Amino acid sequence: MEFATVGWLLLWGTVVGLDLATVAQVMVARPMVAAAVAGWIVGDVQTGLIIGAVLELFALEVLPFGAARYPDYGVGAVAAVATAAGAPGLFGVGMGVAVGLVVAYLGEIAIQLVRQQTAMDVQRRREAIDSGDVTAIYRTHLRGIRRDAQRALGLAGLGLLIATVVRVTAPVTLGGAVLLSAVAMGVGLGTTFVSGLRIARHAHGGWVWLVTGLLAGVAWVVVR
Amino acid sequence: MKRGMVSAAMRLFAFQASMNPERLQGLGMATAVEPLLRDLNGGPAGKAQRAALGRAAGFFNTHPYLAGLAVGAVAKAEHQGLSAQQVDRLRTALKGPLGSLGDRLIWAGALPAAAAIGLILVTVTHPLVAIGGFLLLFNAVHLTLRLWGLQAGWRAGVKVAEALRHPVLQAGLKAVGPVAALVIGAAIPVVAEWLTAGFDATARWGTVGVALTTVVVTRWLMPTVGAARLGMLALAATLILGWLR
Repeated sequence: MEFATVGWLLLWGTVVGLDLATVAQVMVARPMVAAAVAGWIVGDVQTGLIIGAVLELFALEVLPFGAARYPDYGVGAVAAVATAAGAPGLFGVGMGVAVGLVVAYLGEIAIQLVRQQTAMDVQRRREAIDSGDVTAIYRTHLRGIRRDAQRALGLAGLGLLIATVVRVTAPVTLGGAVLLSAVAMGVGLGTTFVSGLRIARHAHGGWVWLVTGLLAGVAWVVVR
Repeated sequence: MKRGMVSAAMRLFAFQASMNPERLQGLGMATAVEPLLRDLNGGPAGKAQRAALGRAAGFFNTHPYLAGLAVGAVAKAEHQGLSAQQVDRLRTALKGPLGSLGDRLIWAGALPAAAAIGLILVTVTHPLVAIGGFLLLFNAVHLTLRLWGLQAGWRAGVKVAEALRHPVLQAGLKAVGPVAALVIGAAIPVVAEWLTAGFDATARWGTVGVALTTVVVTRWLMPTVGAARLGMLALAATLILGWLR
């Protein structure tokens, strides 16, 4: 991978890491978007779309209610594309998704660490903050952005490192690659169905909508 | 328009920047409300503003897209000269309902619906159309909520609960769950067919088998495992079994 490509991937990983919860939340952090753009950066949009679609199936499970913990699928998607880019057909998809999930999970842990550091920062400035000191409040808040940017950049860097190691060393045969891809896709599709059930349970009309959608989707596939 | 409204609206986009286990979004609240409090008695950094900001920086947690309603309402309450206890009660009363509304409307509604539509679009159109379509569709709802919320909160003040009864909001709440369930249902076979197009019949049926097993595992056997952890476990087991063979 060229030096400039690595730079763009790190920059994009930082952007999507920040978008997850800290800045904007315009959903460029969704794996579908993060992976497609990462695919474009590495010159393999098709792999980006496939990886993005599989990881999006996983991410549909996340309902970030309240102070819930959730994986950082955006940065994971960038690392996943870096792992699978350039591989023929579906060869790299399973391994890419595996790397993506590991990085997303590490991102979840890193978010908790960053938030604990922010809590300590707030505790150190408790008096100034509680007295309404604008500067103290504003700077503590901004340090939260800087801290999360560092987390996202570090995670993206680690993700690219893991991707490079996997690309160089993973002894996967064609059959093994297909099996890995099938498992990744199958788990993604299964969790999406369960997510649909969970959403349908709270929806007016319940699971009827989910089943109607499933039947419509099957009909579309058959007719197409 | 109220002076400071644009600045407060911009700051809403970093509402969770200093999220932490102690105060959650408290500092985000204080940072976003600050531009609306500059003209309190005594001006910026005056006694009234400092007291209001100190209160705003306390524990607060709600849905980030609807936080504008709370920001606007709290700012209006401070301008109306409500007592510290009354402002605190308003903040406390807003957290739960706004959080619950946002969770149902966005996290369990508009977001999965837009993502499922985006996934279907990926299989049938140009990538730019699919990704752009998802972002446009979702952010139309997102940006409208953020900006309307701030204005509505400022207009309503302590009567902010009336803003939550807005007919469009209520209609959206009723429709978004069924729409999300419907498009997620439709996306599953469409995306499955697209993803497995390069597989032979054995691999295709294998994918279906893994999907069905996943449903059983996540629904009944290990409901709290989470998709990412289950995916890692399944892929690690596949790799290990592959190496041992």
